[in-house]
Amino acid sequence: MKTSKMFGMAWGNLKKRKLRTSLTTLGVIIGITTIIGLASLGEGLRFSVNQRLQQGFELDVLIVIPGSFTSGLRGFGFSPSDVSNLTTIQNVTLVTPMITLPTATVNKTTTQEGLGAFTVGAINFTQMQEMLPQRFRLLGGHFPNATETNGMVLGYKAATVNDTLIASVGENVTLQMQIRVPTPPFLYTYNETYTITGILAEGGTSGLTNFDYWAFIPLNTAANIQGIGESYQIILVKITDPQISDDVSKAIETYFKNSVTVFVPSSLLRQVNNVINLITIFILAVASISLIVAGVGIMNIMTVSVMERTREIGILKAIGAKSRTILSMFLTETMLIGIMGGIIGIVTGYGLSYVLAFAVSGLVQSSQQSSGFSAAGNQSQNLKITPIFSPEWTIIALMFAIAVCVIFGLYPARKAAKLDPVQALSYE
Amino acid sequence: MATVLEVKDVKKTYRMGKVTVPALQGVSFSVEDGEFLTIFGPSGSGKSTLLHLIGGLDRPDEGEIIVDGSNLLQLSDDKRAKLRLTKIGFVFQFFNLLPRITALANVELPLAIADVSEKETKERAKEMLKLVGLDTRIDHRPFELSGGEQQRVAIARALINNPKIILADEPTGNLDTKIGGEIVQLMRRLNKEKGQTFVIITHDATIAENADRIIYLKDGLIEGIKQAPRRSKQ
Repeated sequence: MKTSKMFGMAWGNLKKRKLRTSLTTLGVIIGITTIIGLASLGEGLRFSVNQRLQQGFELDVLIVIPGSFTSGLRGFGFSPSDVSNLTTIQNVTLVTPMITLPTATVNKTTTQEGLGAFTVGAINFTQMQEMLPQRFRLLGGHFPNATETNGMVLGYKAATVNDTLIASVGENVTLQMQIRVPTPPFLYTYNETYTITGILAEGGTSGLTNFDYWAFIPLNTAANIQGIGESYQIILVKITDPQISDDVSKAIETYFKNSVTVFVPSSLLRQVNNVINLITIFILAVASISLIVAGVGIMNIMTVSVMERTREIGILKAIGAKSRTILSMFLTETMLIGIMGGIIGIVTGYGLSYVLAFAVSGLVQSSQQSSGFSAAGNQSQNLKITPIFSPEWTIIALMFAIAVCVIFGLYPARKAAKLDPVQALSYE
Repeated sequence: MATVLEVKDVKKTYRMGKVTVPALQGVSFSVEDGEFLTIFGPSGSGKSTLLHLIGGLDRPDEGEIIVDGSNLLQLSDDKRAKLRLTKIGFVFQFFNLLPRITALANVELPLAIADVSEKETKERAKEMLKLVGLDTRIDHRPFELSGGEQQRVAIARALINNPKIILADEPTGNLDTKIGGEIVQLMRRLNKEKGQTFVIITHDATIAENADRIIYLKDGLIEGIKQAPRRSKQ
């Protein structure tokens, strides 16, 4: 029998039993709606999180810190030759060191009023702008030039309280800290006046820290302080392509004989993606159960249908229909249920995903208030999930619907095909 | 005249639980092309079984059935289905039309199964319905037709593939005498006009009167064969 004729007959048979067909199809619709709803929400979540992470981290910047979990943390600092040696690693475009002065405090010289700087870092301003262009944008002023050895740049949060500036460019501040030295008196207090040359725009979290809470002084100035010297606590390494992060990371670890920790943002991204994948697969596996239940419903209804149509099957066999033709007739009916249920389910599924996204976004918003994790230049704290229409998922869902219907239709269809024509003809 | 059907020493026994029912106990006869044959017998004589075996719907326990040169015993289920589709037309006592489709669609069924083009199928189905005198009622469903009309549709369906043999199982058994007579006349006319062979099972004397030959079946055995005078003169 021609395929078009087969579909025509199957459609006719389904139409004759409208209520039964609708209810059977409803099972498939519910299954596919759940799958598509959750899958497109999952894709949306992945997209939002990835976007968030990409804004939160510079994927092409690796962060190297001394010590590792395997070798034990060690208190050494990196040397200028380490920095120049790292530059020679393949695919590395820029290496810049940082000195951190964690015990330092920054107060206004005139009023002794404290500023919101948690950490003071010493950096090469030119290299840093190139390294993290999104983070090192000035709100006002300029970066200290070579002659401004006592110039200071404040992070956004260090210079503001509730988004109101409390420090201004040109103002003098006092940098104070306790420094250990190997010779008596072993500990001395560093107390030096700096001039604010610039204030950074809000940059958000970068990698392991939030530079908004930092104050920066020139690298050379810190290197000349007694007891500090050219010993760096952090090295930032810019690479040509985030894809080769792992290779470069390995090369750095090898150079330092595995005594350093290299923070690779893209591997974090990868792990987060893996977790989202796992969660998505788990949820979809659960959702698939509803489609399997629909399949059992189809098997049930088709078995009843075969019994009811026993005589019809006998007639078809008597006038020359092969067993295969009878099998195809019933499978075509279940396939049609799969196609209809699949298409309707896909449409309602995308509808459902928008409802779910709305609900989930609300939940995330309320639980995220205190996290302080924010994207570059993004004032809003909302993680907004927009469901993503995925052609792959649409095709997979449709195929899955058809496959389930055909597989569960196989038993009743085979039962029909195997009917003995003589017995079928005499069936009352 | 060529032989279109040969039945050679066919035996068939049904087993219902522990009881065995011998339906056919060795039946042999042959049918010539264009013959109008009646198999006459009381119920339980094995005539329906015989018709099912000839139509390839069932297999005999012993013996051979040769339809237009094909030995049914040697054919697979699919090949027997194909033989039914191309060489045999069935007409049943209870008409056996598909209830939910129109008269035209019922007549079209064999051609639809045989993959004939839609246009040709439609044309031939209409032609067949005209042949049986139902060309004005092609869009009616079986429940909208009288018994006689339904049987005409069934005959049109049996004829559409231009089969060698039409097998009819009590075709008038569910009709009153007048309508039954009309159906017999229709079949006789088709037999004469189109030269199709008819093998009709019946215990209706009207059909038997019109037949070329009557085979009397009783308890699964041929009790006698009567050649009609008209036929024997030829």
